[in-house]
Amino acid sequence: MTAHSEYAENVGAYALGALPELEAQVFERHLMACEECQHELHRLNEAVEALPRSVTPHAPPPSLKASLMEVVNAEAAPATRRRRFALPQLRPAMAWAAAACAIALGVGYGLSELGQGDGSDARTLSAQVDDQRLPGANASLSISDDGSVLSVEGMPDAGRGRVYEVWVERDGDVEPASIFDVDDRGSGAAAVPGSLDDVDAVMVTREQRGGADQPTEMPVLRIDV
Amino acid sequence: MGVASAGYSRPRSNRITVIRKRGFFVETGVVNYARLADEELMQAVQRGDAMAFETIYDRHGGAAFSLAYRIVGTRSAAEDATQDAFLAIWRSRVRYQRERGSVRNWILGIVHNRTIDALRRNQVHATRRADAEGIEEREAAPELTDVEAFRREEQRHVRAAIETLPESQVRVIELAYFGGFTHSQIAEMLGEPVGTVKGRMRLGLDKLRRELAGAMA
Repeated sequence: MTAHSEYAENVGAYALGALPELEAQVFERHLMACEECQHELHRLNEAVEALPRSVTPHAPPPSLKASLMEVVNAEAAPATRRRRFALPQLRPAMAWAAAACAIALGVGYGLSELGQGDGSDARTLSAQVDDQRLPGANASLSISDDGSVLSVEGMPDAGRGRVYEVWVERDGDVEPASIFDVDDRGSGAAAVPGSLDDVDAVMVTREQRGGADQPTEMPVLRIDV
Repeated sequence: MGVASAGYSRPRSNRITVIRKRGFFVETGVVNYARLADEELMQAVQRGDAMAFETIYDRHGGAAFSLAYRIVGTRSAAEDATQDAFLAIWRSRVRYQRERGSVRNWILGIVHNRTIDALRRNQVHATRRADAEGIEEREAAPELTDVEAFRREEQRHVRAAIETLPESQVRVIELAYFGGFTHSQIAEMLGEPVGTVKGRMRLGLDKLRRELAGAMA
């Protein structure tokens, strides 16, 4: 049996989430280089995505929506207030331009303000990156009155079932801000909602998909604001 | 997913109008969220628009809750799983990429992953392991609303395709997807070699895909 055929046996189990963690990681490494398995996985995913539609419909209780939207409205409030004065126009081009200017400084703290460009209050800060865990990565934070965007390049995948989570630090308290993933080239961007006026630092950790309430590891990168 | 997605309860509007201009939203007047396609709503959600998110919930919350209920088996656990998943969706909204698939599939994928994770973390899984009947479909809740009629038709369509599969293939697919069991756990439960279980998963999914494609043609 060839190595490929051994992996190909796992496509169905992987599509269903039935591979144990270690096997799934091994399969994902094979998948990155095997177009045949990529194609097969794409085909089988069409069936997997239909499975939720086979279940009997149940109406959720109204209280579920009420409690959900209470949290969402509270978290959305700062952004909503800001939009009354100026709509955020955070185009990807801005994010990538900021990322292109970013400088990875390695482990250790230091601050580099990269410039304000168009004469507005916008500014871009570079990140200190833990180059043990994120070798070759760089990141920057573009701050403006309209909103802030964290841009990263050269970042490794966060790992199966994991995402990068952005945190803001105020007076020693750390709060979750957003979650992001990176593409095949290690590039990604995340909004950092709300004003950063009273924020001391923006940080990133790797967390379980969906995000955590508190960081579970030391930050992989940090930007002192 | 088009504008005509079923499942939302009432038209909703806000003071801003959202029009498409080079793929981005521009503020001009008044918008009726119910008339926007999912992908357009997600652009607003990604900017932190809570009303757009509420519309997304109205359209897909029922399907999400139904999937969670199918997996965890109790309404209270399904409510917790659905709320957890939608909060994760809200907080990770910047991750949505329309080129990777429909909003509905993206949402249901997150609901599935987080509900299975919760199942595996809790004792519920261990309890249900000893009771294979636990993953069988449960009775529909009595408060089913008319707007779910669309989902009923969708359900019949997919179930008809599943019923064309051999029972042995259906069994391993359902144990994996709705039960959250690994291939080796399923092999142990059924007394079959792991290779046989993996083969049934692959063959079953492939046949299901072809049946669904044939029904759509």
